[in-house]
Amino acid sequence: MTTVPARPPLVRSSDRVIAGVCAGLANHLGWPVRMVRIGMVVAALAGGAGVAFYAWLWIMVPTADESARRNARRPASPIAPAVSSPDILGVPGTPAAPGVPGGPGTLGASGTPAPGSWWSKVPGMPFGKEILLGAGLLLAAGILIARLLGVDVPLGTLIPVAAILGGAAIAWMQLDETRRAGLVDKTKADQAGGWARLAAGLALVVAGVLVMVSGSGSWEQTWLALLASVAVLGGVALVLLPWGLKFWRDLETERAGRVRATERAEIAAHLHDSVLQTLALIQRRAGNEHDVIRLARAQERELRGWLYRDADKESGQLSEGITAAAAEVEDALGHAVEVVSVGDCVMTQRHEALVQAAREAMLNAARHGGGAVSVYLEVTDAAAEVFVKDRGPGFDPDSVPPDRLGVRESIIGRMNRHGGTAAIISSPDGTEVRLRLPAAASAGTAAAAANHANGEAKP
Amino acid sequence: MVIVDDHAIFRSGLKADLDADIVVAGEAGTVEEAIAVIAAQLPDVVLLDVHLPGGRGGGGREVLAGSAPLLGTTRFLALSVSDAAEDVVSVIRAGARGYVTKTISGAEISGAVRRVAGGDAVFSPRLAGFVLDAFGTAPADIADDELDKLSARELEVMRLIARGYSYKEVAKELFISIKTVETHVSAVLRKLQLSSRHELTRWAAERRLL
Repeated sequence: MTTVPARPPLVRSSDRVIAGVCAGLANHLGWPVRMVRIGMVVAALAGGAGVAFYAWLWIMVPTADESARRNARRPASPIAPAVSSPDILGVPGTPAAPGVPGGPGTLGASGTPAPGSWWSKVPGMPFGKEILLGAGLLLAAGILIARLLGVDVPLGTLIPVAAILGGAAIAWMQLDETRRAGLVDKTKADQAGGWARLAAGLALVVAGVLVMVSGSGSWEQTWLALLASVAVLGGVALVLLPWGLKFWRDLETERAGRVRATERAEIAAHLHDSVLQTLALIQRRAGNEHDVIRLARAQERELRGWLYRDADKESGQLSEGITAAAAEVEDALGHAVEVVSVGDCVMTQRHEALVQAAREAMLNAARHGGGAVSVYLEVTDAAAEVFVKDRGPGFDPDSVPPDRLGVRESIIGRMNRHGGTAAIISSPDGTEVRLRLPAAASAGTAAAAANHANGEAKP
Repeated sequence: MVIVDDHAIFRSGLKADLDADIVVAGEAGTVEEAIAVIAAQLPDVVLLDVHLPGGRGGGGREVLAGSAPLLGTTRFLALSVSDAAEDVVSVIRAGARGYVTKTISGAEISGAVRRVAGGDAVFSPRLAGFVLDAFGTAPADIADDELDKLSARELEVMRLIARGYSYKEVAKELFISIKTVETHVSAVLRKLQLSSRHELTRWAAERRLL
């Protein structure tokens, strides 16, 4: 694993017989290709070692193209995740570290790990994973030699463990660099919880396979196999999690894009139907000031309602009734009616009366008062109140002749009948009509009497 | 003062509508222009449109953030066609001293500019409505400087403003001086800017995400 900076990178050559491994290796080591190939064949005859080595290089060494693409981002050995987490592997990783001068090599050239990514936890090792892999292989070799020398090594246990760890590593290396970093970040795998989960998953996989491998033929077998299957499935689910997340996120992005496109189309359609039509109308009636103001005002109201509507708001609310009444008055008389509402409640029959009274007050204000009319609706637990204010010259409520139904009957009388109150305060600066309708509970007997059916009154 | 609005027609119309004693020192149409003009002119008042092109898409809020060191001397009055609560509340929380809608008349806007120049807050009926909605209509029963609730008096003032009363009319109605009304309104503004009530922070947070 000692690489010298001057050497060309170890990549599979395009000058290939099988997979370009020998040519690449020769290029890397500076040996003749022929010699390397002959050496490989000889090694292959020696108990298949050459074949294994060749296969391993085939898998692990990228082609020239792949390497170039990878270097554009970050050169990294794909096997990294599992190999360089010493506590899972049980391989003493750190002792290997000081032995290698951490110069910028060819395999793991860029020494800066992705920020927040977990292999920054192997400090001072630009290509710690390669070293750990080497250590792992040495360990394997040691075990094999020990067996040859007659030492009893529980090979039947170690092989499944290694296989499972390899599988997990392969699973994680499928995610490319940026995704992996993002995912580790997203799943908070760099925190204790994430690692605990990963470790738990691996433990499950290991346990599952071990139980299956060592399961005897006794009555326990079924139970054990079941347990093992569940464990394996748990482990597999954990291993597949990164893909699941990745696909889910891609799907989300795509869906968001589609939603945006739909929204845009909807806005365009709405603007065409409403605003453009109104503008055309205004151009045609440019001579009539009253009409133009009314059209502009109505369009403004409509557009506002559309733009700022509260999607969560249910229909059939009191504020809606008041706003609709204000819009009616605006359209009829061409005066701006500003509605401010605080709180809201479901419209009942009694509230209908309140809206009617408020509408009458607005009509009066727009007719007799000058300028804008302010309407304020406040709904609390105790009562619903409406204030209608104008800035007209004012009038004396007591001097209104009894035969004028507007104020006396439509406003005061209507409110009284429904258990509410109405007051008219007028001064030279303007007039304000104050309507108050207590909530059903606090309205007491008056409301009950007025509200013969009283079906809608809430307790 | 400086007018910041992206519609040139609206700017010239507004200039024509303003009282003669209000001097327009500069105009700007984008976030960057606005920050530059404000820094160069150091106006008393900036009439700031909430929706502005340029910058990072933050509109008026971004101008306020860019002019943050001047907030002590330059007052900002937010101006908008938008009724949306989060627009209004976000500029107020970014440091604007008041909020008026674009349908306001020339005389009213002149009065609002003077009021803001004098260090007071300007609340339109709609803004008062938002405040009541956000803080709730129940008065604080503890100390008056509780940030998350309005005192009984502040609630009364807000209610009257929401009903379309001018400061003068509020003062008359409550038998207090105009100065006291202004104090109450400024206190509400401060609460609106500093309170961490869920409704307010939610608006602010939603805005920042966009």
